[in-house]
Amino acid sequence: MEFLSQINIALRGPTGQPQSAADTIARLADRLSPSTLLADRRAAVLALKGLARDWKADVGQLTLHGLLDVLQNDAEVDADIGKAVLETLILLCEVDENAPAAARDLGYKHTDVVLADDKVAQKLFALMADHSFYLRYSALQFLSILLQNRRQAVQGYFLKAPVGVTSLIALLEDKREIIRNEAIFIIQSIISQSPEIQKIMAFEGAFEKLFNIIVGEQGLEGGVVVQDALTCIDGLLRFNQSNQSYFRGSSLPPVLLSLVGFPPNLPFNTPTPQQFALQLWDVPQKRANATLVVGVVGLLARHAGPPDGLSIACTRCLTEFGLASNAPTNIKTQALHLVPSNVSGLPLAEMVVTPYVPVPDTNGEEWDRLEPASALDALVELILHGEYNNIIDGERRTKDGMELRGAALGIFQNFVQKEEISEAIVQAMVAQPGSQAPATPLLYALTTVPVSPLNVPSVTSTHFATLLFAHLLRASPRAKATARSIVPQAGSPGGGGGAFFVPADGGPPPPGNDDDPADADGPQTLLQILSEHLSLAFLARARADLPDKEAREWDRLCVGYLCLLIQWLWEDPAAVREFLEAGALGVLVEPINQTVEEDAMIPGLCAFLLGVIYEFNREPGEVTRAVIHPILTRLGIDMLSGRLIHLRDDDRFRAVGPDSFVVASPGAHVPPHLPQGAPAAGLPKPEIEEGEIWFDWAFVDFWKSNYYTIQKGVAVDPNALSSAAGQESAMLIASLRDVIRNQAAEIEKLQTQLKAVSAASGETDALRAQVASLTEQLETSDQKKKDVEKEQDDLLVLLDELNSKRRKDKERMRQANMEVSEDEEEEDDEDEDEE
Amino acid sequence: MAGVAWHYVLKFIITGDAAVGKSSLLVRLTDQRFLANPDPTLGVEFGSKLITIPEENKVVKLQCWDTAGTESFRSITRSYYRGAAGCLLVYDVTSRQSFINVRSWLQDVREHADPHLTCILVGNKIDLCADDAGAAAAAGGGPRRKREVSTDEGELWAKEEGLLFVEASAKSGENVEEAFECATRNILEKVRRGVFDDDRSPGVKLSKPSSGVALNEDIRGSCC
Ligand SMILES: Nc1nc2c(ncn2[C@@H]2O[C@H](COP(=O)(O)OP(=O)(O)OP(=O)(O)O)[C@@H](O)[C@H]2O)c(=O)[nH]1
Ligand SMILES: [Mg+2]
Repeated sequence: MEFLSQINIALRGPTGQPQSAADTIARLADRLSPSTLLADRRAAVLALKGLARDWKADVGQLTLHGLLDVLQNDAEVDADIGKAVLETLILLCEVDENAPAAARDLGYKHTDVVLADDKVAQKLFALMADHSFYLRYSALQFLSILLQNRRQAVQGYFLKAPVGVTSLIALLEDKREIIRNEAIFIIQSIISQSPEIQKIMAFEGAFEKLFNIIVGEQGLEGGVVVQDALTCIDGLLRFNQSNQSYFRGSSLPPVLLSLVGFPPNLPFNTPTPQQFALQLWDVPQKRANATLVVGVVGLLARHAGPPDGLSIACTRCLTEFGLASNAPTNIKTQALHLVPSNVSGLPLAEMVVTPYVPVPDTNGEEWDRLEPASALDALVELILHGEYNNIIDGERRTKDGMELRGAALGIFQNFVQKEEISEAIVQAMVAQPGSQAPATPLLYALTTVPVSPLNVPSVTSTHFATLLFAHLLRASPRAKATARSIVPQAGSPGGGGGAFFVPADGGPPPPGNDDDPADADGPQTLLQILSEHLSLAFLARARADLPDKEAREWDRLCVGYLCLLIQWLWEDPAAVREFLEAGALGVLVEPINQTVEEDAMIPGLCAFLLGVIYEFNREPGEVTRAVIHPILTRLGIDMLSGRLIHLRDDDRFRAVGPDSFVVASPGAHVPPHLPQGAPAAGLPKPEIEEGEIWFDWAFVDFWKSNYYTIQKGVAVDPNALSSAAGQESAMLIASLRDVIRNQAAEIEKLQTQLKAVSAASGETDALRAQVASLTEQLETSDQKKKDVEKEQDDLLVLLDELNSKRRKDKERMRQANMEVSEDEEEEDDEDEDEE
Repeated sequence: MAGVAWHYVLKFIITGDAAVGKSSLLVRLTDQRFLANPDPTLGVEFGSKLITIPEENKVVKLQCWDTAGTESFRSITRSYYRGAAGCLLVYDVTSRQSFINVRSWLQDVREHADPHLTCILVGNKIDLCADDAGAAAAAGGGPRRKREVSTDEGELWAKEEGLLFVEASAKSGENVEEAFECATRNILEKVRRGVFDDDRSPGVKLSKPSSGVALNEDIRGSCC
């Protein structure tokens, strides 16, 4: 009000009537007209600027068009009026997120007027290149407000302004930091969701200029400018294939990698330099910068088609960050998450990494370098034992630490996707004839005997081991078959199961001695050990005096064992047989039968496992389906079904998603009735969030695809055929069978035909041969016949001669009056023939 | 990652009517492939290629922005002229209309591009009328179409407008690299003559050979 009356005085003189604000503003609006003197217009704008905050609606309604005209006509002529009019417009268009809706709408309304056509936007793009610092700066600020309010409209005009991009990019080289930083800020928002603007930016050299800024500001060690510039780079690349190929082909990726200290041309068999692996991470800004760089490296690691040099270098950089650096835990997690799911570009088993661990009590200032190890080993080690072997977190399960292990587990899962690989890893755990089974860390953790009181790191290791092992077996019948022959070393912790079980405070001993085949029958198989440990865990958690916290840990172990067994026994009748022979059936029944309402998780899993056992119990043995069936009916088929389904409602089960795995531990919140701070000495600092895991997505996914089969399967008569395949797959199998049958029939038919044809061709050959021989025969007989005929002719001639001779002789005889008979003559002829 | 080595980075844009074969020329240059049914370009697509100009003993990285010929993208395309060092102005020798429209594309170039931009007029798809050109039965049996713009006419007009000229085929690959090389030579010559020394042309950048890590430097140095 004070200000208003001053203006009134200025406008009317001290004696005038007091005026309403609206009147004053209207009078000021008149003064904006181009017909007044520039100085008057300037004074009017300054006055309006003073009123705009308190009289936003009136100033907007009465003067907005006038102000925009001033911007259009005067700004470039007179920097002062330009600056003042821009500042007034900023006040009119600003939207305070915390203001009431009506006030916010006003800001949007004014913005819409400003952006009704492209004139103002074009003017602002032009002013970005103005010589006056204040004009430039205010134009940028106004633009940034307009972008915040109506991004798409501004983007539309920006695309049509040929000079806009060039001047904006040029500002990245402005010597005044404040201008440059404002430009970076505008770029961040103007490229958002506009691939076309992103591409023009790339064309205009935005990448190069942004990297110049980053390098010039000390890279990762730089301030928030570096963060903003990196955010722009990410925005230009993330959803833009064209820009990615520009960037990949430019000289910038090596610069990007060297920002985090990773040598771009590091040969594969050369370890990373220490300045990459060990860096100072105290400054939060550096962490923010590094997170952005890692994000972009992750983009470049992904590459359609066969991995090229760049994607391999980036994948390696991510892996090294995650496995062998002192980067903050969440950055490691991010890096491991970004390792492409097709890890074929990265031979994990052959790649060598050199992990570091902090020297205790040096506050992260001294580090020990560990022996070089294969990346695969380092990965498994990280999953099983946590970051730096858990020496920092100790008994705590920090949320960050669990996330990191989860991310590493994801890489392992992808890596063993190929059956050859999972099978080879399982095979390596099998003893070769004449030698002991190798004690791999995975096997060791998997078979660690659970001992009360449980210690958190050990439970976590065993739990992660069950998850790792499930990844190895889930999709591979061959790996399952091989796993059945794993007999962990007798000396390993699982070897003599019960022998090590020493109840802490007089709890029940391990399951009956008759159940302990370790001593009697020599070393146990892995499957036997798991079933034994499961039963140990059930017994332990049934104890009445167990503290809640420890009961939870026993539950966790049960969940781990059960989930692994469910996935192992699925579709593996031989494993079911072995499991049943280990006497495991009884172990499952009791938890299912519990009447407690409190917990649906373990009964649900037990019901599922029981269902799997029933479904796939297809090999002859003592405990047949017929033996199990009465147990199912006694439990109640509906009750079993219900148990199965209710798992789905459990929060711990529901919380798991493809990318979320770790849930907050309830233990992290101290219940209010407990004396706060009392156990503070041993407790973690409150700012460290604790987290825990129960299930992984692979299991949840498995459960979702298969629970229905099991739900149906338990209701089926023991003599029925497997329903495992489910209706749909049964039909699929039936139709495939048909296909096979048809094909077989067809093959048979074709074979017959083929035979017939070849037989026929054989016949032809024979015939041909016969013809040949017959022809030959014919020829010979012809020849013979001819010979005979000739001979006959000859004979006939001879005979004829003889006859005529004889006739002559007879004649002569007759003439000599000797006796001659006609008959005799004939007989003679015949005789002659025979001789 | 092999150290990338080049002496110059040159920005090219490729413009001209829709479907004259701009994308096909670029794909031929970068991938040595020809697609019978490419999608029309939306906005702009990037492609790059290293070429050597032996007589200058220079390795040049061509950064090519292939633009959309469709009218609706025309204003976006205009944003790309200013920063380019070279421009391929493409028409289809079997489409008179595309040749006529080249005039308006050239007008855009004149209006928005750096005055020193090197422009080459490219008559594409000569494989379709191999017979008319006198080359005996070379068109590989594809559907032959009548040539609607003669070589002489194209060449004459290019000369009048001060453009380089070549006829090419993205399909057969004939003259495709030559088109880019020809323009590149012309640009390098301008560089040698010092045309860009004091002038702002973001389309030409000098790069330290085999500098894996160093940023490219503007050829005009650090004066502005
Ligand atoms: N025969 C023949 N066909 C060609 C040649 N070049 C391109 N084509 C065909 O012409 C059609 C259009 O090619 P494009 O490369 O998509 O044309 P464009 O100029 O990029 O089109 P827009 O992206 O829409 O502007 C496609 O069917 C190509 O296969 C050529 O040299 N010879
Ligand atoms: Mg195209």
